Amino acid sequence: MDVEAQKAWSDRGWPKLSVWRTRAETPSLAREQPYLDTLPALIAGTLLVLAASGLVLAVYYDPRHPYASIGFIRREVNYGWLIQSFHQSGTTMLFGAVYLLLFRGILLRLYKGSGEFVWLGSVALAVVLLLAGWLGYMLSGGAVANASLMQASLSAEIWPGLPGRLAGWFFGGPHGPGTLARLAVLHAVLGVAVFALLLLLRAARKAAQPQAANPVAFHPYYTAQYFVAFTIFALIFAVFVFFAPHFGDNPLNAVAPSRLIAPINPTPPWFLAPLSAVRVLLPGDSGGVIAVLAMLGLLFALPWLDRSPDPTRRTGFLYRLVVVVLALDVLALGLAAACRPSPLAVILQIVFALWYFFHFLVLTPLLTAMEEK
Amino acid sequence: MRRLLLAAVLAAPLFGGFAPAQAEDTLSPLHFQSQSLLGGYDLAAVQRGFLVYQSVCASCHAASALHYRDLEALGLTAEQAGGIAAGVTLANGGHAGLEDRLKSPHLPGSAFSGAMPPDLSNIAAERPHGPRYIYGLLTGYLAAPAGTAVLPGHFYNRGFPGGQIAMPPPLKGNDVAYADGVTASLPQEAEDVSAFLAWAADPNLDARREIGVRAVLFLIFLSLLALATKRRIWRETT
Repeated sequence: MDVEAQKAWSDRGWPKLSVWRTRAETPSLAREQPYLDTLPALIAGTLLVLAASGLVLAVYYDPRHPYASIGFIRREVNYGWLIQSFHQSGTTMLFGAVYLLLFRGILLRLYKGSGEFVWLGSVALAVVLLLAGWLGYMLSGGAVANASLMQASLSAEIWPGLPGRLAGWFFGGPHGPGTLARLAVLHAVLGVAVFALLLLLRAARKAAQPQAANPVAFHPYYTAQYFVAFTIFALIFAVFVFFAPHFGDNPLNAVAPSRLIAPINPTPPWFLAPLSAVRVLLPGDSGGVIAVLAMLGLLFALPWLDRSPDPTRRTGFLYRLVVVVLALDVLALGLAAACRPSPLAVILQIVFALWYFFHFLVLTPLLTAMEEK
Repeated sequence: MRRLLLAAVLAAPLFGGFAPAQAEDTLSPLHFQSQSLLGGYDLAAVQRGFLVYQSVCASCHAASALHYRDLEALGLTAEQAGGIAAGVTLANGGHAGLEDRLKSPHLPGSAFSGAMPPDLSNIAAERPHGPRYIYGLLTGYLAAPAGTAVLPGHFYNRGFPGGQIAMPPPLKGNDVAYADGVTASLPQEAEDVSAFLAWAADPNLDARREIGVRAVLFLIFLSLLALATKRRIWRETT
């Protein structure tokens, strides 16, 4: 069968295929788009790796003996150590890409004008992934994860009213043998549901695409570009999987949980550390939750915190500088949370957390309004 | 091409860790091959360390994540590992087999005045800088400095957090006789058992790094190829 006959054959059974083919070969895209535009596709690819490796892990995982069953997967299952490493390092790659996506959105003011929905979709994606990432960390069953789950489920118990009842339903009561079984299901459901968010994000990105003056087709031009991005991403991924499989994890989480020993510093893995640090801003467990929600809520509100009325205007030097400072601030927030607990570490966390809120509530409206003049 | 050759020559020392197992001096200065970037386990040291574990540590500590069949990864044949297992008498009077877990002493906490010896299968991963920590602990028993009140049933150990440990000094030197002729001094035994426990905590490290080097080299070439392809395709745009 030659190529034309093959096309006719597949179009007869699946007409959509020729629609997709024509669309991919029709020049409609602007030239020389940056490599970082491939980030959503890289996130989708990482999520596929996580879903596939997570499926294998779920087959062998026993929520009643989490620590022992991760050990079983790493030691007894054929290539279980590799699949577990793919899943663990996959989260590092995933959140690296997600944080980079958000940083780039803020830096280049992609959240304005037609990019509003893309921005809201990206932030929603990040929030859902952070929740799924936290749940996955709980499933690792180490001493730190265990202590963190104990604290979260116990404080959920004592909350009054609807939030308490919702949280009680979420955890199924204080941390007991059934809690992890429940969280394993929620982790998997969120991990699959996030693909729906990716589809929404894709639709928003398409709608926000400007008309190109001298367009090129997706294939072969952008397929070649995506291939470069994917191989370089895979290269970094491989370095983490094979040479730093526990990157960014608290070393204490390698210890089996014990009822008698609480870890000195139960810091979560690196991608949750900034959120964990912001909790010190407000007192009490519910204060911590409110601080984290405010931190994420500010990202949602960003399109309206930017006071510049012209959505297409490029950002000025000062604005870019403070955005880079913000990125360093979030990094420092995570590092301060990972330090051994000390008065200095707490003061640093408060300072860095306050700077985060200062950036969004004062600097962003001020600078964007100033640069407009 | 010349640049590629240069890269290969520069990369060669990195692969030194894959050298075959042989009795080398790893004590002066103290180093563990597996702790370097691309290094693998020194299987001779790990085998000696298993002997120390079996004859000394196993009388109080369990290592229940390990099976006798896992010893085949140390370079032993199935017959040799089976022979080691057959030499172990279980609590029910029978002999262990390849599929059995390493024999646990099953002693009650009261035998240790409540200070239960921890399971050793993962200990090198559970302590910061595991192998060095274990070596420092095993060689850290000293006379208590003047003015230090040692608790009853404890021993002064500079390698243990807090300085006082309930475990009596386990190694005295010449606790075992090594088949490869290495002198079983106390530091040598401590180094070997640290190497064994490092292997026990991460038995897949060798395979991980071997696959990793291949994967990384492959992906470097693939990304260069992809980049060249992309540039060529874009050059043809009109």
